Amino acid sequence: MSEPARDPGEADLRFALVRLRYGDRLTAEQLDALRRAVETIVEQVAALATVPLTNADEPLQRFVPFRADE
Amino acid sequence: MNPVYTPVRELAEAVRARQVSPVTLTEAFLDRLERLGPRYNAVVTVTRERALVQARRAEGEIAAGGWRGPLHGIPYGAKDLLATAGGIPTTWGAAPLRAQTFDFDATVVQRLEQAGAVLVAKLAMVELAGGMGYRQPNASFTGPGISPWGGTWSGGSSSGSGSAVSAGLVPFAIGSETWGSILSPAANCGVSGLRPTYGRVSRHGAMALCWTLDKLGPLALTADDCGLVLDAIAGPDPRDPTAALRPFRYDAGDVVGRRFRFGVIRDVAAAAEESVRDAFSRSLDVLSRIGTVEDVTIADLPYEAITRTILMSEAASAFEDMIESGAIAGLTAPEDRFTAYARDAILAKDYIKALRLRTFVVREADRVLSGLDALVAPGRPAVASPLDQEFRSAARGNVPDVMGAIGNAAGLPAIAVPNGFTEGGLPTSLQFMGRAWEENTVLAAARAWQRITDWHLRRAAVDA
Repeated sequence: MSEPARDPGEADLRFALVRLRYGDRLTAEQLDALRRAVETIVEQVAALATVPLTNADEPLQRFVPFRADE
Repeated sequence: MNPVYTPVRELAEAVRARQVSPVTLTEAFLDRLERLGPRYNAVVTVTRERALVQARRAEGEIAAGGWRGPLHGIPYGAKDLLATAGGIPTTWGAAPLRAQTFDFDATVVQRLEQAGAVLVAKLAMVELAGGMGYRQPNASFTGPGISPWGGTWSGGSSSGSGSAVSAGLVPFAIGSETWGSILSPAANCGVSGLRPTYGRVSRHGAMALCWTLDKLGPLALTADDCGLVLDAIAGPDPRDPTAALRPFRYDAGDVVGRRFRFGVIRDVAAAAEESVRDAFSRSLDVLSRIGTVEDVTIADLPYEAITRTILMSEAASAFEDMIESGAIAGLTAPEDRFTAYARDAILAKDYIKALRLRTFVVREADRVLSGLDALVAPGRPAVASPLDQEFRSAARGNVPDVMGAIGNAAGLPAIAVPNGFTEGGLPTSLQFMGRAWEENTVLAAARAWQRITDWHLRRAAVDA
C-alpha cells in the first residue's frame, strides 16, 4: 500500500462545513479538537484512496428487492 | 455449594440434580449485585422482581421434571442496550435516556427466557456503546466501568458485562461488539468473551450503533460457558433480516488430543505493550502443545481506515437526531458532547468506497483463514488503563488493531480468553479468530487452551 497523498486544503474545506453547521454551539477549544478530528478523517479517506478500484468493484452490501408475500 | 465463580456448566448440573434451587441461586446473585455492583459501577438496574418470578417458575418446572437445558434457572445480566419490557429502563448508558423504556423484550432476552435463564440485572455500558468517540473511561452516567483487577478500567463498551462476570456478580452476561466491545472488557476483566459471526445472533431490540458491524455475544468464566450461551441465543429471527438462517448447535465434544492449525499475522503484536507482547509470546509456545503455529501474511490494505470509516458513518446516521439536535451535550464524557460533529466531514462517496473495499477485506480474510483453524493474537494490545487516563483505542486510531479491523469488517467470530498477568497483576488475553460461522472451531481451540492453562481460574480479591 502506498503512502496516502495529503491535501491540506481538503481538511480546510471539510472543516468549514462542520464549523458552519455547529460552530455556534462550540467553544474555541472544542473547535480546535474538531479540526484535528476532521484532519484525521481526511487522512483516513486518503488511505482508502490508495487502493485502486475498478468500475466493477461493488459495495459488499447487496440490494435485495422486496415482496411482503415472499 | 457456593455458586459464586462456579461455571454455568457446573451450576446447571447442580440445578438439574436439584442440589441447588434457582431461587437460592438468584437470591445469592441479587445480593451480590446490590452489595458489590456499585463498587465496580457495573449495574444500571437490578431486576429483582422479574428475576424472582422467573426463578420461582424455573424451580417449579424443574421440580415437575421439566428441565429445559443448561441455562434453566441460571441468573444472568444483560448489557443495557437490550430492550426489556415491564418498565425496566433501557438506558443505552446515556444520561439523556436514563428513563427510556420499551414495551417488548429484545430477541436475545426472549431466547434466554425460553431457555429458562433468569435476568437479574441490566448491566452498565459506555454511553451509546462508545459511538460518540469517547477517549477515557468516565463515559457513562453510571460512572467509569471498573475492573475487579486493580481497580483499573473495565474496558468497553460492554463494561458492566465484563466486570460483573469477573466479580462473580453473575454467572454470565450478554455484551455487544461493533469494534472491540466484547473482547476489550473480556481482556481487561480477565474473563472469556465470544464475538459471534455477524448475523449469528438477532439484533432485534438491541440499540443500533452500526447496522453492518453490531454483534451480540456472551461473556462468561469459561469458553465452554460461552458456547452454552451462544447455543441458546443464536438463530434466525424474522424481526432481524440480517440474522442468518444457518442453524447453530454448540459442539461441546472432547478436545483432548485434537490438533489445531493456528496462524499469526506477521507483526500482529509489534505495537502492543511489552507485557502483552511477552504474554503472547509465551502463549505461542503453549499453543504448540495443541497444534501448529505458522506465520501468515495478508494483503496490504488499509484495514483500520476501512472499518473506522464504516463505523463512524453508520454511527453518525444512527444517532443523527441526537447529534443534530445537540442532545449529545447531555452525555457524560466531555468529548462525547461534540466529537461526532466532525463526522459530517465524511462524504457519501467515502462511505461507499469503504464498503467497496470491504469486499476485498472479506475475501482476503477468508483466503487466509481457509487453511487455518484460527488466527491468534493478543485479545487487546494494551492492558487496562487507570480510570483517570485516556486509553489507547484502535477504533480511535491511536493503536494498531488489524485483527479487530478485519474481524469486525468481515464479521468473523473471535473469542478472548485470559493468558497471563502483568507484574502489576493486570490480566492479559489471547484471541482466537476463525472463519465465518466457525464458532465451534474457535470455541474448541479456546477450550483446549483452557484445558492446559489455568489463567481463567484466577480470581480477583473481590470478597477479601
